[in-house]
Amino acid sequence: METFIGAVINGLALGMAYALIAVGYSMVFGVLRLINFAHGSIYAFGAYMVYFFISIQVGLFWSIMIAIVLSGILAMLVDKLALEPLRKKQSIPIASLITTVGVSFIIQNGLALEQVFTSEKKGFPSLNLFPNIMIGNLTIQSSQIIMFAVALVLLAVLSYIVNKTKIGLSMRATEQNARAASLMGVNTNFVISFTFFLGGCSAAIAGTLISGYYQIISPTMGATIGLKAFAAAVVGGIGVLYGSVVGGLVVGVVECIAAQYLGSNVRDPMAFVILILILIIKPNGLFGKKGVSKV
Amino acid sequence: MKKVLAVLLALAMVFVLVACGGGETPAGGETESGAEGGVIKIAVAGPMTGDNAEYGIGFANAAKLVAEQVNAEGGVKVGDATYTVEIVEFDDKNESDEALTIAEQIVSTPDIYGVIGHFSSGVCMAAAPTYQDAQYINISPTSSHADYSSIGDYIFRNNTVITVETRTGAEIAINDLKGTSIGVLSIDTEWGQSAGNAMEENVKDLGGNLAIRQEVAATQTDFATEIANFRAQNVDVILVAGMYETLAPFALACDSSDYDVKLVGCSNAYTTSLIDIAGEAAEGIYAPVAFFAGNPDPDVQAYVKAYTDKYGAAPSALTTQAYDSTYILIEAIERAGSLDREAIKDAMFETNFDGMSGPTTFDEIGDAMKVFTKIMVKDGEFVVAEF
Repeated sequence: METFIGAVINGLALGMAYALIAVGYSMVFGVLRLINFAHGSIYAFGAYMVYFFISIQVGLFWSIMIAIVLSGILAMLVDKLALEPLRKKQSIPIASLITTVGVSFIIQNGLALEQVFTSEKKGFPSLNLFPNIMIGNLTIQSSQIIMFAVALVLLAVLSYIVNKTKIGLSMRATEQNARAASLMGVNTNFVISFTFFLGGCSAAIAGTLISGYYQIISPTMGATIGLKAFAAAVVGGIGVLYGSVVGGLVVGVVECIAAQYLGSNVRDPMAFVILILILIIKPNGLFGKKGVSKV
Repeated sequence: MKKVLAVLLALAMVFVLVACGGGETPAGGETESGAEGGVIKIAVAGPMTGDNAEYGIGFANAAKLVAEQVNAEGGVKVGDATYTVEIVEFDDKNESDEALTIAEQIVSTPDIYGVIGHFSSGVCMAAAPTYQDAQYINISPTSSHADYSSIGDYIFRNNTVITVETRTGAEIAINDLKGTSIGVLSIDTEWGQSAGNAMEENVKDLGGNLAIRQEVAATQTDFATEIANFRAQNVDVILVAGMYETLAPFALACDSSDYDVKLVGCSNAYTTSLIDIAGEAAEGIYAPVAFFAGNPDPDVQAYVKAYTDKYGAAPSALTTQAYDSTYILIEAIERAGSLDREAIKDAMFETNFDGMSGPTTFDEIGDAMKVFTKIMVKDGEFVVAEF
């Protein structure tokens, strides 16, 4: 029983972090109908920035803040430099998709360069900021609680931005019909940049939380987790914010329980098993809207 | 002007060559007065160029250091005669074809009495039958394939197989740390599986209580599942068959979930990356190693100093195994009391050599049996283990 509860707690904490990554996929998909596969590498970039600023003696708090902003800017730059030119030339959607895959490799291998951070794993400061909670044989780590709480607060903030603010209104307008929105005076280019910025920031926060939990980082850390979060976004219904949260939690909890009872080797494939099962039953994901085919 | 310079340089080179040659002669000349003497050649074969060059060059450096030391102390006494040792290098590029050619070349040189080398198991196994047929002693300092030393009675290995290494790990867990419930964590590679199996067998063999074995992916960083399972069995010592890339995050995970457990790694845990990544969580990780450069033993320190002075870097474990191999061969020749190859081979099996990579004997098929040094991480560095 204790091991089961332990697995559920681990799953909830990880699932919240997955949700934080998944909303990045979801928001970008909302405004551009594009899967941004560079998202996982921005997650890794965020963690490496925290590592770097801490190693040059900037305090933990400011290191995280600087890393969040830098990752947001990087995500924005990815759009400005690689994706916007393609949109302007009205190239086929698949071109943008493969570009994001390419960018992800560039960032990931850039981090792994001998002159940058090398491909070796590095230690990362622990986010066990207060003592763990022990109940019998069950330990709830403070970093798990922090991961869950921080992600929850940030998801609430994101949801507030999207639903209650003016920029959020512009985002939703762009999502529904970009052309009509721009005719109504919405600066769609700014909205797209802002969406990438938000996605980059949340990826960096998720990167920091998960790295602080495992206390280890590597340049390829974003590859698997990026795909899992993408699966979570699709499970919840891509383009729907709260769907990503539910999707993230489902993926996190199921994979941890599966790992506990079927062995660690089933952990990573589990996200995709859930994805396939849910898509068979509900093709648009749990909360997904029916696709509107525009003529 | 250029011509003058060229002539001067040429002269300088000749002078240097003469000086080097001159350096060697007294070592041989000064030795015994009575005997006729001569030269015993020992071949060193390994990759001197290419990707694995550092290993082959390490072999050659180690063997040359031995030759220098032996010659300075008066050479090799075989019966009444005294011989000087000469090292002959061969570059096999770590390729089997090349190694075969070299083996033919070596066995057609009558004054070579032994071969230290070949690096990879595959290359060693390609060349070994030639040495066996010609009755040339072959000691590989690195080969790890189980079948290598069974090729023949002239084929020896001064490298331990995983069962020997993990035995010391199991001893640490059961005898030194007094573990009452022992866990095994292994990675899902071929090496990890065989090391994990060897650990299980050794624990059972020593009468320990093997509680649970967990297998993880080599790249895994989430160990919550494994820790929960170890905890449920009240495991107090875990043997880890993984590289530092698994051991370091696992130690961190144990530490941050307040799981008070002692970890024992394999010899590959002896790398500064372990301490760099795991930091304080690395404190108290134990490991068995064949060679430990920080061993306070005066002989080891003298060797490390001699090697570092000559080549500018501290010797690695594999280089040290080549160093010991050369001494083992020379000692066997002295004990045999003749240059008869069969007599030397028989003497090899009676080896009981207290080398830099631990006391070494050979079993009936020619595998080295070593006593491993137990080390631990203390105050951010590796030291000889205290219990």
